[in-house]
Amino acid sequence: MNGVAPMATPAATDVAVLEGRDLTKSFWVKQGRGPLAKKARVHAVEAVTVRLDAGKVTAIVGESGAGKTTVARILAKIIKPDTGQVFLDGQPAPAGRPRAYAAKVQMVFQDPFASLNPVHRVRHQLVRPLEIHHIADGHVDEAAEDLLRRVALQPAAQFLNKFPYELSGGQRQRVAIARALAVRPRVLLADEPVSMLDVSIRLGVLNLLADLRDREHLAILYVTHDIASARYLADTIVVMYAGQLVEAAPSVDLTDHAAHPYTQLLLSAAPDPDRDEAPKLAARGAPPSLLAPPSGCRFHPRCPYAMEICKNQVPPSFAVSRAHVAACWLHADSAPKSASENGLFRPLSDQSAKTQ
Amino acid sequence: MAPVGGPGGVAFHRTRILQLPRSPKVIAGIVILGFFGLVAVIGRWAAPYSPNATDPKNWVQHILVGGTGPGTPYPAQYYPLPFPPSAAHWLGTTVFAQDALSQVLASTQATLFVGLLAASLATVLSILFGVTAGYIGGGTDEGLSLVANVFLAIPGLPLLIVLADYVPNAGSSIFLVGAIIAVTTWAYSARTLRAQTLSLRNRDFVEAARVSGEGRLRIILVEVLPNLVPIVAASFLFTTLSAIGAYVAIAFLGLAGSPTADPPGLWNWGEMLREGFANNAVRSGWWWWWAPPGIMVALLGTGLALLNFGIDEFINPRLRTGGLSRKAARKAGISAYTRLGLTPVASSVLDAPQPATRAVSATEAEPVLEIRGLCVDYGVGDQAVHAVMDCDLVLRRGQVLGLAGESGSGKTTLALAAVRLLRPPAVISAGQVLFHSKPISGDGPTGTIDLLAASLDDMRELRWSEIAVVLQSALDSLNPVITIGAQFDDLLRVHRPNMSGAERWSRAAELLAMVGMSGDRLRSYSHELSGGMRQRAMIAMAIALEPQVIILDEPTTALDVVTQREILEELIGLRDRIGFATLFITHDLSLLVELADEIAVMYAGRLMERAAAGALFHAPRLPYTHGLLNCFPPLHGAPRRMEGITGSPPDLKALPHGCAFHPRCRWAMQQCREERPRLLPIDGASREVACWLHRGYAVVPPELARPEPAAKKLVHASVTRVGPS
Repeated sequence: MNGVAPMATPAATDVAVLEGRDLTKSFWVKQGRGPLAKKARVHAVEAVTVRLDAGKVTAIVGESGAGKTTVARILAKIIKPDTGQVFLDGQPAPAGRPRAYAAKVQMVFQDPFASLNPVHRVRHQLVRPLEIHHIADGHVDEAAEDLLRRVALQPAAQFLNKFPYELSGGQRQRVAIARALAVRPRVLLADEPVSMLDVSIRLGVLNLLADLRDREHLAILYVTHDIASARYLADTIVVMYAGQLVEAAPSVDLTDHAAHPYTQLLLSAAPDPDRDEAPKLAARGAPPSLLAPPSGCRFHPRCPYAMEICKNQVPPSFAVSRAHVAACWLHADSAPKSASENGLFRPLSDQSAKTQ
Repeated sequence: MAPVGGPGGVAFHRTRILQLPRSPKVIAGIVILGFFGLVAVIGRWAAPYSPNATDPKNWVQHILVGGTGPGTPYPAQYYPLPFPPSAAHWLGTTVFAQDALSQVLASTQATLFVGLLAASLATVLSILFGVTAGYIGGGTDEGLSLVANVFLAIPGLPLLIVLADYVPNAGSSIFLVGAIIAVTTWAYSARTLRAQTLSLRNRDFVEAARVSGEGRLRIILVEVLPNLVPIVAASFLFTTLSAIGAYVAIAFLGLAGSPTADPPGLWNWGEMLREGFANNAVRSGWWWWWAPPGIMVALLGTGLALLNFGIDEFINPRLRTGGLSRKAARKAGISAYTRLGLTPVASSVLDAPQPATRAVSATEAEPVLEIRGLCVDYGVGDQAVHAVMDCDLVLRRGQVLGLAGESGSGKTTLALAAVRLLRPPAVISAGQVLFHSKPISGDGPTGTIDLLAASLDDMRELRWSEIAVVLQSALDSLNPVITIGAQFDDLLRVHRPNMSGAERWSRAAELLAMVGMSGDRLRSYSHELSGGMRQRAMIAMAIALEPQVIILDEPTTALDVVTQREILEELIGLRDRIGFATLFITHDLSLLVELADEIAVMYAGRLMERAAAGALFHAPRLPYTHGLLNCFPPLHGAPRRMEGITGSPPDLKALPHGCAFHPRCRWAMQQCREERPRLLPIDGASREVACWLHRGYAVVPPELARPEPAAKKLVHASVTRVGPS
């Protein structure tokens, strides 16, 4: 199968493999020094709902500080959300980080130079997850070789004996992906998996993720700042801004008909050699400080279309078209959604209300 | 970009646990320690005499105690006299007629044993406390750190004296002495280990182990601890040294038990020193008695310190590659006189006949920076890595010249070597760099300047005022301890001495306004600014003196797309206003196509294609450029699978034969594997390519033979991007 993202069909009825519902997370930072330093609250993620379906890639796109990595880490249970819950196969995920959860949800980190332990050979990095989860007991070496083959590292037996420093960036990231696959997970959380790699090998890793989605029916979360690569790989794109979701849609739909002004801004700023003339930025300025986020819509200070209501009221998600929602008052004429078809946004008023 | 060193921080790119660099220092350290090890093991038995045995033959030598004997009311009293070195006693004897050499040899064992025992115990303690505190954190950390701090605050030697004195007969048990020393020395290493563990704890590989369900103990023991081995080893050696010092000190004070007391203590260097000092050895000039143990202590300390240097270099490879050794440089024909802040140039470069200046054709803009045949190596001789080879590049006035390539392709090395900003071990081994100066403002030099022959003073005059450089990390480039305004002030004060303070301030505010920043940011420190703001401030500083050339090395790579776009817009606006030429270095070819007038593509240290931006994008001639353009997914059209380029960028230390790109090239021919193509003009003078496909009788694949676009860029609808399928 090829790696092109097919148009996402709303997978509304069946249960998501992994879903984060209404996730909110604040961090506390010290202001000043010493024991008397004031602590200030950083609203990193607020009321974010995201779902991952089997055989689909969902991309979270946003600038640095938008909270996309925090969402991925909450889903990996590396950090605990303040409120909101993670559901695995429709069931609330157990507290803590039990091995049963690790066996289903795995993560690939941004920096392949940091995510492999430099003192251990590739064999160790792959065999440990197998041993922990008692997979392939007794023939772990064969299983590890098989993993390397699945991420297209050949000859596998040779790679097993290498140290990370002997591998190139792309090969390291493939080992990291192989390690994540070792426990036969159903969900792969990939946090900027290609941003540290050389340009010429990024596509190879993205194509590998696409193949895993198609071949092994993995649910993949692809966190990125590069909207073009999200369009290439993902079935659904979710755009985050200043800790909140602003737009979600099937990827081609989202990039071709961006409904939220922030998405439009991102698209206008993205490098695009096909453009005939210099792009005009759809807005200016920088994302707000999350210590004191703006009232109402967090984008309103930068938004060229900001209205009075934007300053006062947080916009709920509105359906722009089928499976395409945007949290923007400009689309208020369409019916407000309480739970969008792809379940991405929190309800307007009542959590349990369902229009569908 | 330098191919030396590891990826920041503690680098383990030669990971065989403690595979130490083979430097003379380390070898000397190992030899010294080996000698002590040998002496410690066989010294007691190799000693010619027993250390306690008195030699009655020498007992007769003695001197009269002053004020006694004949002519005084007191009976004569005699001091025994030690025997100087002789054939029977190589190091002479003590006043008790004991053999000094035998004592030194016998003492080595106990001294070394106490040192190693104390260091081992202290290391175990420091690992237990430090790693546990660092890894678990929170209250545990605070509690354990408090304990360590208490031990740090207690002065070690007095505690040692009290403990050694308090425990009855402590001195006669070297185990007890070792333990007491360990208790007083572990806290320092514990703090170091805690700090290192804290930074390791949040590393991605530890996080990855947690995500895979690994248990806490195994993470500490298997994932974290092996990474601490070099630091543990370094602190072990350091503790050994200080433990030996402590043992010698308490023995010198007589707290370690005398070998002649009951129960007898063991011979050690401190005891020898004590007896020597107690019997006037120094004042009487009996150097053979007190000097040997002193020299042993010093020598052992030197050995341990040398080995520690080796470990330091292993932990921090930058120490190793910090410069060129004079000897190696001289051998390679490089003037040994390398100065800080100036990339050294091989002397052969300056002696080489310079090619005549090429006539400038009327249609082209006037060149401002000309790079000809530039070669840059890291290191010299056989070890040299050829990072840039034979590169020609012409930057014209007002032009944006893009330099594209992947990491390790040599693009940064090329640009920074041209203005001689690279530090040794980088060496310019061939080529010529001409700067045709025609200052926009200020009173800089005019005329053509050979940058490779320029002195540091010449370069100082040019740098910043005529050639400015903006690097990727503005945080590293800005001074963290003074405000942005103060940095502008410094800059203008040096280069525009006629300006008054108020004028400088208003000029700085004006410059900030040019890059879209408010003037009150002048009062900010760099850490108070966002990444985008910092980079803007850097650009404002770069244009402050209206330079003729600005070199931008990945200036926006670390920034978000929106900020990147804003900064680039401002930069182009400033270029139009001021008229500087820009050398823009980036790995992002898609960005460059929009931004640059002309693009040069580098691969494995060589320029491979050069063309106008539009031509390069719409009609690439080089397979690598074609592949690279196909690595950027488009924002339009139906999604389709793209393949990019197979394989990985080559290792500069082992470049493939022939064309460096051939192993990754889908159109590689036999010739590509054997012969390296040269960069030659194609389709007229405005573009050049280094590829055999465009030479001789080779059939050019249609992807590489698209028609040149018309003067204006084509509309994208008419462009068919045929990707590999």
